[in-house]
Amino acid sequence: MKIITLIRWTVRELAAKATLYVLAGISTLMLLFAALAMGTDSTSDGTTITFFGKPASPPVTHEALADLAGKIEAGFAGGLFLGIVVFGVFGTAGVITDALEKGTVDLYLSKPIARWELLLGKYLGSVAAIFLNILYFIGGLWLIVGAKVGVWNIPFLLSSFLLTYVFAALYAIVTFFGVVSRNMAIAIIGGILYFMLIAGPLEGRQTGLYLLSESGVYRGILDGLYYIFPQIPAMESGAIHLISGEQAQVTPFVQSFLSGGGILGVAAWLLQRRDF
Amino acid sequence: MFAIESDALSKVYKSGVFRRQEVPALTGFSIQVETGQIFSLLGPNGAGKTTFIKMLLSLAAPTSGSASVLGRRLPDVRVREKVGYLPENHRYPGYLTGEQVLRYFGALGGAPSGALPARISSLMELVGISQWRKMKVKKYSKGMMQRLGLAQALINDPEIIFLDEPTDGVDPVGRKEIREILRDLKRRGKTIFLNSHLLSEVELVSDRVAVLDKGHLLKVGTVDELTATGQAYVIGITGTLPEPVTVAARAFVIALSQQGENVTAECRTTAELNRVIDLLRRNNVEITSVTRARSTLEDSFISLITGEAHP
Ligand SMILES: Nc1ncnc2c1ncn2[C@@H]1O[C@H](COP(=O)(O)OP(=O)(O)OP(=O)(O)O)[C@@H](O)[C@H]1O
Ligand SMILES: [Mg+2]
Repeated sequence: MKIITLIRWTVRELAAKATLYVLAGISTLMLLFAALAMGTDSTSDGTTITFFGKPASPPVTHEALADLAGKIEAGFAGGLFLGIVVFGVFGTAGVITDALEKGTVDLYLSKPIARWELLLGKYLGSVAAIFLNILYFIGGLWLIVGAKVGVWNIPFLLSSFLLTYVFAALYAIVTFFGVVSRNMAIAIIGGILYFMLIAGPLEGRQTGLYLLSESGVYRGILDGLYYIFPQIPAMESGAIHLISGEQAQVTPFVQSFLSGGGILGVAAWLLQRRDF
Repeated sequence: MFAIESDALSKVYKSGVFRRQEVPALTGFSIQVETGQIFSLLGPNGAGKTTFIKMLLSLAAPTSGSASVLGRRLPDVRVREKVGYLPENHRYPGYLTGEQVLRYFGALGGAPSGALPARISSLMELVGISQWRKMKVKKYSKGMMQRLGLAQALINDPEIIFLDEPTDGVDPVGRKEIREILRDLKRRGKTIFLNSHLLSEVELVSDRVAVLDKGHLLKVGTVDELTATGQAYVIGITGTLPEPVTVAARAFVIALSQQGENVTAECRTTAELNRVIDLLRRNNVEITSVTRARSTLEDSFISLITGEAHP
């Protein structure tokens, strides 16, 4: 399968670049910090988690301890997600634009692969590399918390997939800008600005953008946009909820799948029409 | 069956804001390339040579006309299983070594992974880059890149090999080696399509040559047919040729041009040469020498192009 070849070599390509090592480096520092700092303190009243010997809460029962561990893990995951958005987008945007560069794209497309296959292979390759990064951090932290606190929070481990999924939705937008502009800076800016200036305000539109006007049309447009684009913040908080043992909504994940797929489809269509 | 056939193939690129600007890159281009031949497309910069190859490989869509490769009407992905391509200004991901480039693009071309290592070794040997197999391509020199590109074009044992300026940046010894490789491929029944403006290169290996300028096909034929058009004479004169004289002479010779104090006239017969000399003398042009120039493909190429530029 050509697409597997593309994915494998794209992961290799990213392994040769420095940006993702920054992310892996930060992850390593955080893991070391967690491994060194974290401990437990038991009294007759119960147990609590400590950082450098300082208790994070009054001693609690065993069930409550699992909750506490989940909250701490969720905090780490939220931090990781920001790191992924920033360093992940920086580190992987070039995958799309480099492949479309003059002189390189000619080589790829002279092979018996379709253009959408090239795009999908590169896209999935970047997502796979980010998944490995996420798995390293989440898996590492899961082991540390398990070993030190004795709480083996399976949803936390599984959140590796969810966080990757959220990244993949954002990366569809980066890919779109990469295909349209063939310029790495624009792809990065497009992705980050979407995350900061569009996804966030749309998510919180009821308490923010709604207040600018009472017009039903205006609010309708905002709602429409919200349902057209991937709902990154809703998915992120959904993942965090699951880690801390709470319920999460499925709709943002389904909606973002359709939306991200649609954006990739448009990108592939634009790519198909282009003359190189 | 022809290896490559094009019928009134045209390409108009749309560029600029809102794609309003139109660049006609190729106009009504029809050629046939026989299987097992070395065919060269010759033309100055911007003639449309690369555009033609790009349309055959579906890198650009024809505006009108049709083409087929290996008997399959384009566009057809399967065609690309059997072609090799060395693009101009090709760039490989810089983090790869030469060997990895061949492994990666070989796999994308559909080579069975078991057969690849042996094929990579022999190809690197063939193009003379074995000693740099483990070096990252970002450190490759231009000539090394070009050799690697040739190996990449051959990695999937293609039936047709498209080479866009293959000797660009390669030293003279390397050029000779590449010519040998091309001849050897031809012996093995492969079809080779070369793009070049290095006429002397093409002359030595091509079975047939097509001359292209500003998107128009000017001439197709064997090297002999193209060079047999006339005999070029260099007439040394003092001063410059008056414009009416140039126009009058061009009316009957194949081509006429002046570089410094040398007038090059391409004539069909010696009688024609004498007519030129008479014309010059009647107009008081002082002749200092007359010599026969060996007509190379280069000369007929230039005369074709300049003849077109000043009809
Ligand atoms: N992608 C493109 N978009 C717009 N115009 C293009 C594009 N590619 C080529 N052209 C134009 O088409 C014409 C033919 O270009 P082409 O690259 O085919 O020439 P060429 O014969 O290969 O020249 P060279 O010898 O310099 O490689 C040129 O005028 C060029 O500017
Ligand atoms: Mg060219």
